[in-house]
Amino acid sequence: MSEVDREVADLKGPAAMPRRNGELVFNQPWEGRAFGMTVALRESHPFGWESFRVRLEREIAAAGPADDGTRYYERWLAAFEQLLVDEGLVSSEELANRGDEYREGVRDEVF
Amino acid sequence: MSHEHPHEHGHAPLSDLEARALAIESLLVEKGLITSDAVDRHVYRYEHDIGPVIGARVVARAWSDPAFKDRLLADGTAAIAELGIESPDLHLEVVENQPGVHNLVVCTLCSCYPWYLLGLPPVWYKSAPYRSRAVIEPRAVLHEFGLDIPDETQVKVWDSSADLRYLVLPERPEGSEGWPEERLAALVSRDAMIGTGIVAIPEAVRP
Amino acid sequence: MNEAHDLGGQHGHGRVVAEKNEPVFHEPWEGRVHALMNLARRAGLFNLDEMRRTIEQMPPAEYLRASYFERWLDALERLIAEKGGEPIKPSSSPTTRPPLDAHFKVGDQVRTRNANPRHHTRLARYARGKSGVVELIHGPYPLPDVRAYGKALTWQPVYTVRFRAQELWGGEGDPHDSVSIDLWEEYLE
Repeated sequence: MSEVDREVADLKGPAAMPRRNGELVFNQPWEGRAFGMTVALRESHPFGWESFRVRLEREIAAAGPADDGTRYYERWLAAFEQLLVDEGLVSSEELANRGDEYREGVRDEVF
Repeated sequence: MSHEHPHEHGHAPLSDLEARALAIESLLVEKGLITSDAVDRHVYRYEHDIGPVIGARVVARAWSDPAFKDRLLADGTAAIAELGIESPDLHLEVVENQPGVHNLVVCTLCSCYPWYLLGLPPVWYKSAPYRSRAVIEPRAVLHEFGLDIPDETQVKVWDSSADLRYLVLPERPEGSEGWPEERLAALVSRDAMIGTGIVAIPEAVRP
Repeated sequence: MNEAHDLGGQHGHGRVVAEKNEPVFHEPWEGRVHALMNLARRAGLFNLDEMRRTIEQMPPAEYLRASYFERWLDALERLIAEKGGEPIKPSSSPTTRPPLDAHFKVGDQVRTRNANPRHHTRLARYARGKSGVVELIHGPYPLPDVRAYGKALTWQPVYTVRFRAQELWGGEGDPHDSVSIDLWEEYLE
């Protein structure tokens, strides 16, 4: 079992990664990228997995009891953004500006 | 090296979430913290290398290639070896669902399971309810999984009590004619390969 | 052994519950136990039949109460206690499979013995003293009843025998259904 598998297993209860029939489910490609990025960053810049997990659980809890799990990766993305800012790896300004560029279609998606 | 990122819409505007995900990835790559290849690797591993996807590939090949299917049914171990899949010391027996025949696999004595094709078994497969009831009331168990088997259909239960492992070859769904193997494999669930499910084309995908 | 693991046909265990978003392991320790058991077996500390036999030796009430990996952990502890002092037999020693010498052929009507040994066996209670038809022939494979005690291997053909549901369960069985079970030759007569 790799480090990544252990960390995936560490996400439990409402924070558990969505699965169908034993397989992880990414409903959109960006969801897979969000997952892949988080674990890729762990390899190169070992942030405490605990700190990500706590942020994820907080995002899910903040979404309220009516949250049915279909927006799981939205919560993941938000938790990851917070972690990046808190770790000083990216600034919230950078994230906002870059996001705008993609939304407005002024930046090439190929990089 | 440039990296093309998959997303649903071609040249249509990106959703807010897609934009945010791209923003993060591009920034982290620029700062030298990750590579897109590393991201690919992690996604690929979970989507392709782990779990039932391996069995699904076998099923998709059998549906697409009748000669392979014949070899698979005659000698499962040898046939999957053609696809580079090893079955450590355990002979594979593939049992085919057909109109009038539905197969269901269980291990009443412990939890024998073709893990090299399906990953690790789910808790329910190893549980007392499944192990006790699959052999004596398979139709009731299947009903709990949302499958109602017609009266005249024969339900064949396979109790993996020795060194053989069983894989159910589900019926190919109508409407999937001409589909490439990768697309077919994406339809096949773990439960369909145990016998507690069947393969159907999801509503959203039907033309 | 007629113990709690032999669950086929028992009543009262309730609905099959499939957990939503079930993870591969529920706790990190489960993953470690899974790895340890497989590694210890591959290193030759014990074989698969010894492992199963040890799991089955858990007292029935405990067996039913325990989770799957709790049983594994308990068995691993007992296997180490049982085997820990012995020199490890390398599991990589090649075992040549003898030629298959099957006494029954596909299509033969066979009957399972009504045997109730105290030792480990792979003839489930629900299938003892029943008539069926040979569907497939495999092997030979080492008899678990012997291999579970570390004794010299006894190779026998294994038959997939199909039993009509009504043969196994009487009137409770569906007339259209069958159960196929894999049985070593000495389980049959």
